Amino acid sequence: MLRIALVGLLLTLPQEPAPVELHFLMWKPHQREAWTRALRDFENLHPRIRVRVEEGPHSSSELHAMLVTKLRARDPELDLFLIDVVWPAEFAAAGYLDPIDDLFSEEERKRFFPGPIEADTVDGRLVAAPFNVDAGLLYFRKDLVKAAPETWNQLAEQAAAITARHPDLFGYTGQFDRYEGLVCNLMELIRSNGGRMAPSLDERAEEAVAWARDRLIGPVAPRAVLNQRETESREIFLQGHAVFHRNWPETWKIANDPARSKVAGRVGLAPLPRFEGGRSVSTLGGWQLAIASHSPRRAEARALVRYLAGFDVQKRLTLETSHGPSLSAVMDDPDVLARFPHFAEMKRVFFAAEPRPRSPDYAELSDRLQQTLYAKLTGAEDGVAVLPALAPMAVLGLLVFYLSRGRRA
Amino acid sequence: MRKLGPWLAAPALVTLAVLAAVPIAGALWQSLFHETSREPARFVGLGNYVQLARDPEVRNSVLFTLQFVGTSVVLELVLGLAAALVLHAKFRGRGLVRAAVLVPWAIPTVVAAWIWRYVFDDYSGLMTYASDVSWFSDPFWARTIVIVADVWKTMPFTALLILAGLQTISDDVIDAARIDGAGPGRRFVHVTLPLLRPALLVALLFRTMDAFRVFDAVFVMTRGKSGTSVLQFLGYKALFDQGNYGKGAAISAVVFLLIATMTVFYVRSVPSRLMEADR
Repeated sequence: MLRIALVGLLLTLPQEPAPVELHFLMWKPHQREAWTRALRDFENLHPRIRVRVEEGPHSSSELHAMLVTKLRARDPELDLFLIDVVWPAEFAAAGYLDPIDDLFSEEERKRFFPGPIEADTVDGRLVAAPFNVDAGLLYFRKDLVKAAPETWNQLAEQAAAITARHPDLFGYTGQFDRYEGLVCNLMELIRSNGGRMAPSLDERAEEAVAWARDRLIGPVAPRAVLNQRETESREIFLQGHAVFHRNWPETWKIANDPARSKVAGRVGLAPLPRFEGGRSVSTLGGWQLAIASHSPRRAEARALVRYLAGFDVQKRLTLETSHGPSLSAVMDDPDVLARFPHFAEMKRVFFAAEPRPRSPDYAELSDRLQQTLYAKLTGAEDGVAVLPALAPMAVLGLLVFYLSRGRRA
Repeated sequence: MRKLGPWLAAPALVTLAVLAAVPIAGALWQSLFHETSREPARFVGLGNYVQLARDPEVRNSVLFTLQFVGTSVVLELVLGLAAALVLHAKFRGRGLVRAAVLVPWAIPTVVAAWIWRYVFDDYSGLMTYASDVSWFSDPFWARTIVIVADVWKTMPFTALLILAGLQTISDDVIDAARIDGAGPGRRFVHVTLPLLRPALLVALLFRTMDAFRVFDAVFVMTRGKSGTSVLQFLGYKALFDQGNYGKGAAISAVVFLLIATMTVFYVRSVPSRLMEADR
């Protein structure tokens, strides 16, 4: 009797509302501790919200495949996520994104770098919030290179002079595997020669690609770069085997971390070179915070978007991960400048970073570009000839014919 | 009793219909629409197929798929036969060798593909000691490696099937041939091989169907670059990377039709006595 009464009493006690659990899908971060701390602080600020991070693949196209699968299935365990700067048009057209115009006023939007804000604005609506800005940068060994090269040809000459003295070194590494990074790397070469990529390569573009094929990959960079992405090409530089290296901003932190890099403290940073008569061009990259339109927890997700795109978190994550902040003011912050003096000069690179072609069908467009560019770079005809393809099938057919013949004899 | 038959078969038939027939019909139906993640579905009849026929990437993928199937299945059969003959011989440590041959088959395809990718990594792979070829950016080598990796991985399977066939051949027949004066070569060509036909045919049948569905090796090792794109990978790209559902469904339909054609061809060629397994 007493027990029943006790249970009854417990049931009538006012209950704590159950915490809301937000599911946040992002790539695997390089500095996980920094993220964990930032998200824990968010939970302390909003005691009713718990953030559960799901780490997807680091590769952009694999994360894309994962996200589209989940969004199409209206996965209930997906509230907000990071999207690449080239996806907003596609995702918005598919109706996957919950617009967040009301979250940032016109005034506030001006505080972000213009490139990503433009990418995140689809048909006049803000569909995602810039989280970080990436721009291609030139890393170099400042113990070997006296002055950063202004032009691509200077880079090749300097690299040749240095590798003549240090035969164990490669001149340059970048990202030339057949994937999205190939488009970014070659766009920088092509546009810095005044060429264009879409709808088709023009003469100046062909010229730049031919230069990369004949003068860069092979003579300066190892042919292995044709199979390398960010991580592998960076590793060569971190191991002290490359003079020049092209990568995104967060490489700065990694390259100067003595636990991960043999060249810590010997790394210089500069805008990418250009061709004679052209101007330096960096591809605009970076990630955006987006909210799933099917999520029932959109209000809570908005709080997290605001928090992550806010000045304090942007500054903290910049200090801790060296990613390029989406708010330009973070680059003027004295604490940030004290840690990363190069931001003073790099800020203009971030402002000028150029977007890739914009289209709701970007994935298809990029795939065609990769196909074309990779074939040109490798100089290999990748079409399959009919005879070698069909001959083995003919042998197979003959085998079947032989084996099935005369079984009854 | 006769009336009970259909009822007993019903659960299996219903399962097959739900799990195979309905999804296949659904995919075929979807392939008649232009449908992407960005646009609502629009009926286009055979429009997707017309586009596929005009697309050089599709043409290359079909050709490489055929090249892959033909080359790897023939190699697997020949090498599998050789391996089976070795395993069939009596020698010390045969159990150990049999187990060793099976190892590649026990490794998941994705893991095996990663191993091969590391071996041929042109910066840090094992093969950098042998040559400085940039393997995966060269169409000839990229295709060769994809095929070699598949042969290495699947040869034990054909070896095992053929070994089972070898063991059903009675020693008496071989002994009779020997007494008649046939040397080892003639015994193999005129006695063993003809009696092995059913096993070889079954191995071919299984492997051909499997090889048409190749995806993981290409996905891991090359992601379709350097002319190694296969149909299934193209379908994956259309569906998952590009959100192009109509095109993806049409590619799946093409793969389905190719495999179905092969199956009919095989079933026709296999003598009915073999299919009824009345040995």
